[in-house]
Amino acid sequence: MAVNETLRVLRTLRYDAGHFSLFLQAGTIGPQAQPGNFAMLQAGDGLRPYLRRAFSIADVTTWRGVPAIEFVMKVVGVGTEMLGRFSEGTPVPVLGPLGIPFPIGDLEPGDRVALVAGGIGLAPLVLLARRLSEKGIEADLFYGGRNESDVLKRADFERLLGSHHCRYASDDGSIGRHGKVTELFEGALAAGIGFRRVYACGPVPMFRALARILEEGKIDASFAFESEMACGFGVCLGCVAPTADGRFATICREGPCLPPSAIDWSRL
Amino acid sequence: MSTVDLAVQLGSLRLKNPIATASGTFGYGLEFSEFVDLSSLGAISVKGLSLRPCHGNPPPRICETDAGMLNAIGLQNVGVEAFLAEKLPELDRLGATVIANVWGDTEDDYCAVVERIGAERRIAAIELNVSCPNVVKGGMVFGNDPAALGVLVRKVRAVARRPLIVKLSPNVGDIVATARAAVDNGADILSLINTLVGLAIDLERREPKIGFTTGGLSGPAIRPVAVRMVWEVRKALPKIPIFGIGGIERTEDVIEFLIAGANAVQVGTANFRNPSLSAELVKGVAEWCAAHGESRVSNIVGTLKTRPRLEHTYA
Repeated sequence: MAVNETLRVLRTLRYDAGHFSLFLQAGTIGPQAQPGNFAMLQAGDGLRPYLRRAFSIADVTTWRGVPAIEFVMKVVGVGTEMLGRFSEGTPVPVLGPLGIPFPIGDLEPGDRVALVAGGIGLAPLVLLARRLSEKGIEADLFYGGRNESDVLKRADFERLLGSHHCRYASDDGSIGRHGKVTELFEGALAAGIGFRRVYACGPVPMFRALARILEEGKIDASFAFESEMACGFGVCLGCVAPTADGRFATICREGPCLPPSAIDWSRL
Repeated sequence: MSTVDLAVQLGSLRLKNPIATASGTFGYGLEFSEFVDLSSLGAISVKGLSLRPCHGNPPPRICETDAGMLNAIGLQNVGVEAFLAEKLPELDRLGATVIANVWGDTEDDYCAVVERIGAERRIAAIELNVSCPNVVKGGMVFGNDPAALGVLVRKVRAVARRPLIVKLSPNVGDIVATARAAVDNGADILSLINTLVGLAIDLERREPKIGFTTGGLSGPAIRPVAVRMVWEVRKALPKIPIFGIGGIERTEDVIEFLIAGANAVQVGTANFRNPSLSAELVKGVAEWCAAHGESRVSNIVGTLKTRPRLEHTYA
């Protein structure tokens, strides 16, 4: 059940000028959060930015013994810029957890799955990696970005999944394979690795390429979609994606985690 | 606190308090039941209903602006049948006072939805959306032309069996002309304003940020326009009950609309930002009245004291 509550900033962790993690008190949202859920955060109480912002719940953790929710953010505009400047103790109105999470309940020990991330699309996959490792599910990470500083939280993934299960790609070759993350993933398929399911989050071009690969290989998948949204709980109808059955699905309520087969990629 | 009488009367429509929620910003109400006790609100106006389900416009549908947002959703809704069968019983169970906002492409479409609602007792009033700027047909085609609006309202009035609210468009030169056309042809209540047509541009692409090109501007940015229009209509039509709508965020905003002449208000875009807001405003209005020695909230309505406008002088 979603909760509308005010949580205080515990810590802001800067990775570089463009990326940071925001740790908030877990409140009653943290214990309920499942991988793929998101929350709406209000940056400041002014009129700019006016709307709350949607962020994946990246992890449920602790900071100095205090239960915490972590959000991993990329600075893209006025909202993320303000959130990145918040100091310890700043109260942040938060609505969450929201949305349909990644399906993991049907996985069994012995299953092997893949996590595919592009850029800031790592955000929902950290908590997923944690829950998978707790369940004893073998998981491989394929994570790409433009350059090394786009590929975040590598140590966390390597700790949760095992470093031999984590592979990287970058557009400039500064980390991992020189090229696209989808090529990295295709390489694993070509090497004969079979995946029960693929979990992905990233930009639309990555989704498009990955959806094609998965359809050809008939591999089950769940994509965590991103969109601008005003409300986060299915009423503004601003965040829709065109569906294969000819309508528009709300990313906030019917998603954000949807099978790629549900989407009409030609209209997206 | 308990000494303040919050009830308001809008024609035959009696609300337990003056805080309602605006169509298009409150879903079918049920989405808010986690955050708000729906029975604590004066009323909720549901997402605009059409005869058949509507898919709405292709994305992108929204963009944030300073102190507000643009939207061009295109009236996506489940249709009146699904609303009556699936949503209304649950709203009734939760004790909500329901206003059915309705729209169509043609006069016949409007009449058909209203006829389908008939004398449904669980719907407290019908609100005609003649002011949506985000559809090619219907909507604002009626709302911007007093003559066309008058004909539509007259036809709907003839088949309506519940109190009839007409929601006015602010995208007109003279709001009083459309208000008068609605009232002269049978509107029981007016609600104003709907969104203002706006345009936001992606500079790098040199394209509109919204798929429909233009969108409806809402949020605190439009409040002074809305308050002014409520005041103008109140002056011209002293007896007509009015819902004031536009950028309400705080208790003081509600009071401002009431002073300008609204009998009640509808909270809109702020529901997106804080889904608990409407219930907080009910408490806020009671506190404001108590702090200002007002025993009845309806006593505030239309109490604006205006100064005579003086002509400018030259040196």
